[in-house]
Amino acid sequence: MIANPVDLAIVAFGILVMAMGAYGLTYSRNLMRQLLSVEVAFNGLLMMLLPLLSANASSATYFGVVVISVVSAEIIVVVAILLSYYRASRSMSSDSLEEVPER
Amino acid sequence: MISWTAVWAIVIGLASLVAAYYVIRSKDLVYASSALAILGSMVAAELAILGLGIVSAFLVIVYVGAAVMFIIITVSLLGLRGDERRNSGVGVLVAVLTAALWFGVALSAGIYGLYVAPHPVGMTAAVGGLLSRYALVVALIVIAQAATLVEAISVARRGGGNGGE
Repeated sequence: MIANPVDLAIVAFGILVMAMGAYGLTYSRNLMRQLLSVEVAFNGLLMMLLPLLSANASSATYFGVVVISVVSAEIIVVVAILLSYYRASRSMSSDSLEEVPER
Repeated sequence: MISWTAVWAIVIGLASLVAAYYVIRSKDLVYASSALAILGSMVAAELAILGLGIVSAFLVIVYVGAAVMFIIITVSLLGLRGDERRNSGVGVLVAVLTAALWFGVALSAGIYGLYVAPHPVGMTAAVGGLLSRYALVVALIVIAQAATLVEAISVARRGGGNGGE
């Protein structure tokens, strides 16, 4: 069991933060807000999973470094795509995704 | 008796909850993305409390310092607004289901004894392990980051119509 209260608190808050990210993802129709919600969920997942992965001494460190690198790259790509979409449609609503004109 | 470390973990966890709430509910996207930077810093503090100092520093430097700042600058320069149609009922349902699912995962991991207090890993050991055992992964990440940079510049310039030509 999780004997350490620090681990317990961090895992519990991580789950709550991740649930808030899932809430924001379905709550909003703004694409930028949805990206921010995905990042909130990622932060919650990081808080929850790193204590789980630390059974091996250094695997949590390796996992954290690799995942943060990949997520940073993902943010840059998604923001570039959203920027392109915004220039094409002048909107950030996910409802109008099918109405982007062909270029 | 609860230690001061546990108190700090709870206080920082509460602050991260407030920051996450502000990311979702704030009407201004600039403030929302700034709250995301605060949330990333709070998560880094929690990881530092866990003993994962390198991951904590990496989170602050790479994630908050580069990626989230990129979002903030983009939102500020475009002047994006946060007004949108919202669907609150489905959001609450998904949040409750997500929390229940991951509480189940955490409970199962606790039952099987997978949660262990992490051992601090020094910079020399971390770099040595990354470059020896995970050298291929590091090489792939470097290639992916370079490709991402080129792709992002390409997409952003192409979207402007006559911006790239």
